[in-house]
Amino acid sequence: MVLYPAVELVRASLSRYSVTGLYQSAAGARNFRRLIEQEALPTVIGNTALWVTAVVAIALLISLALAQLLNASFPGRRAVRWALIVPWAASLIMTAKLFAWIYDYYFGILNRLLTAAGVLAHPVDWLGDEATVMAAMIAVGVFVSLPFTTYVLLAGLQSIPAEVYEAATVDGAAGWRSYRSVTLPLLRPALLVATALNIIYVFNSFPIVWTLNDRNPGFAHDTMITYMYKIAFKSALRDVGLAAALGVVNVLVILVAILGYLAAAGWREDHV
Amino acid sequence: MTGRALSALVLAAVAAMLAGCGDRGAAKTPSIKVVIAEYSKDHTRPFWQDLAEQYTKQTGVKVDLQIIDWNSIDQQVTTMIQNNQPPDVLNLNTFASYAKDGLLYSSDEVLSAKTREDFLESFARGGEYRGKLYGFPILASARAFFYNKDLFAKAGLAGPPQTWDDFVHAAVKIKNLGSGAIGYALPLGPEEAQAEWSIWMWNNGGDWKAGSRWAIDSEQNVQALQFLADLANRHKVTQVNPGKTNRTDGAFQLFKDGKVGMVIGFGPLAAQLDAEAKVNYGIAQMPTQLAAAVTLGVEDYLMAFKKKGNAEAVRQFLDLYYRPENITRWITAEGFLPVTRSGLERMSGNPKLKPFLDALPNARLVPTTDPGWDRVKLDVQQNIGLAVQPGGDPAKVLERLQKNAETAESAR
Repeated sequence: MVLYPAVELVRASLSRYSVTGLYQSAAGARNFRRLIEQEALPTVIGNTALWVTAVVAIALLISLALAQLLNASFPGRRAVRWALIVPWAASLIMTAKLFAWIYDYYFGILNRLLTAAGVLAHPVDWLGDEATVMAAMIAVGVFVSLPFTTYVLLAGLQSIPAEVYEAATVDGAAGWRSYRSVTLPLLRPALLVATALNIIYVFNSFPIVWTLNDRNPGFAHDTMITYMYKIAFKSALRDVGLAAALGVVNVLVILVAILGYLAAAGWREDHV
Repeated sequence: MTGRALSALVLAAVAAMLAGCGDRGAAKTPSIKVVIAEYSKDHTRPFWQDLAEQYTKQTGVKVDLQIIDWNSIDQQVTTMIQNNQPPDVLNLNTFASYAKDGLLYSSDEVLSAKTREDFLESFARGGEYRGKLYGFPILASARAFFYNKDLFAKAGLAGPPQTWDDFVHAAVKIKNLGSGAIGYALPLGPEEAQAEWSIWMWNNGGDWKAGSRWAIDSEQNVQALQFLADLANRHKVTQVNPGKTNRTDGAFQLFKDGKVGMVIGFGPLAAQLDAEAKVNYGIAQMPTQLAAAVTLGVEDYLMAFKKKGNAEAVRQFLDLYYRPENITRWITAEGFLPVTRSGLERMSGNPKLKPFLDALPNARLVPTTDPGWDRVKLDVQQNIGLAVQPGGDPAKVLERLQKNAETAESAR
């Protein structure tokens, strides 16, 4: 039954529909040919690559630090660990709407803070300015990816036996050296899992880009997921067959990306 | 893929298809699916729930009622039709594509003569496709020009502007008040850009079509769009990035906050302003380049989908909704305008509705009777904002919209 939607998706991608969604006829590869002809496609692919790479990489770096922090014992650690889960539990749409207000040119708290602190001389239209909208979305993407990533890495850290560090100390490795030669290599399975799953989540993420970009005309800041939605329902194309073709491409892209990543990271040698 | 996996996949697909067929055949108690757009959280569901219960009591036919918010209704309805499970009765802001696809009953088949005759003529015409009525008017609204009386007084302006020159003059004076005052809030972002654009275009003597042909890039239209771009980039009297501002959470929000001198609004905005009692506002006619101001009327529709053996059930449901006491109760609750003669009689005494009812005779509808409109509308929503951004080219944007509209036309 898991495969049924996939079968439907492929079937839709090979069919021709009217603007209402009514099935017209078989279409062969027509939808795929039309997809390649779309002017916006290169931009959208570029956006997607930037979005996935930046969010996954930044989230991973910050999470490494956070996991290290949460692995150390300090008073109130339990409370901090719980607090980190909150953005995970909140719905992505609500989080995205909240950030849309934070970023707002007239009412947003971000401009108020930055101008009061003297960082900015004038407020910035974070979600309207071509130069800032992608970075603003990536920041939110990172924010919502932190809980999951941190917890996977924290679990990885906790599975490293204390004896290993003792042995390292005996051999004279401490601090940064111990982190690089002991922690990171042993954290590798957790890193692999966190990265692979994050690539899938972030690629498929719809609510953040959709909500923060909803005011902007055209397709200049869309990813392949929001572009698919716009093709189907919100652009002059209004074509579920063409959107399904992009859906098929999306599935293949993510499949290839994950297999490529795992191959490059040497998944098999590790037998994780 | 192994042969085994492949056959499992095929089996799964077949099983799913059979399950789908089973659903359709197993309708024992008669029922109809009614899909309604959510106009407000407070009024939409209670009214239709109540109507459905009345209907079931009278006819014994069950109602599968689905209230869907505007953001996802296009998607959900498209999916229903794609999966061959259309609703029996559907409420939407468009109908012609469904009529063109042969999915709908015409009024002759499912409306009693009395109901049909009660429709106000202009709204009945707005629901016609090839000479037959398929989009039954469900409610209407009209846009009107809102202005902030306090800001106008502060800027020393006597009253709302009548002409476009007056308008620019007023907007500049309000902007010059300083401390963040905005002359005019212009929402040309994707949410509802076609509405804002229609009103300005019409008041410059332009239109969507000339006869049966699209005329999106006419001289008057290019002029009008250049005028809007100048408001943003030359006079700088609009809010920041008007091509990237939506209506509800952008322009209206700013007006409700008292920052804005002028905005185009409608009934629900007036209701919100009254409830908040923060802004001292007035409602006036649109500033215009013509002898008489034009505004936008919006008509939404009820459609009846052709399915085997559902005509009688659908007819009874529609007749119940169109009983004067029912339709008027709902339209009044939601703050919209009547589409029937009997409704107009009942509602014309309401002082809150007066400015909008007064605007109705000069209200024009967008070309929803053309099946091509569904695509043109989306194209305008996605692209017209680009014309008023710094460096945008109104003529080029309109030229492109025109070309796309013509291409879609010839592809049909």
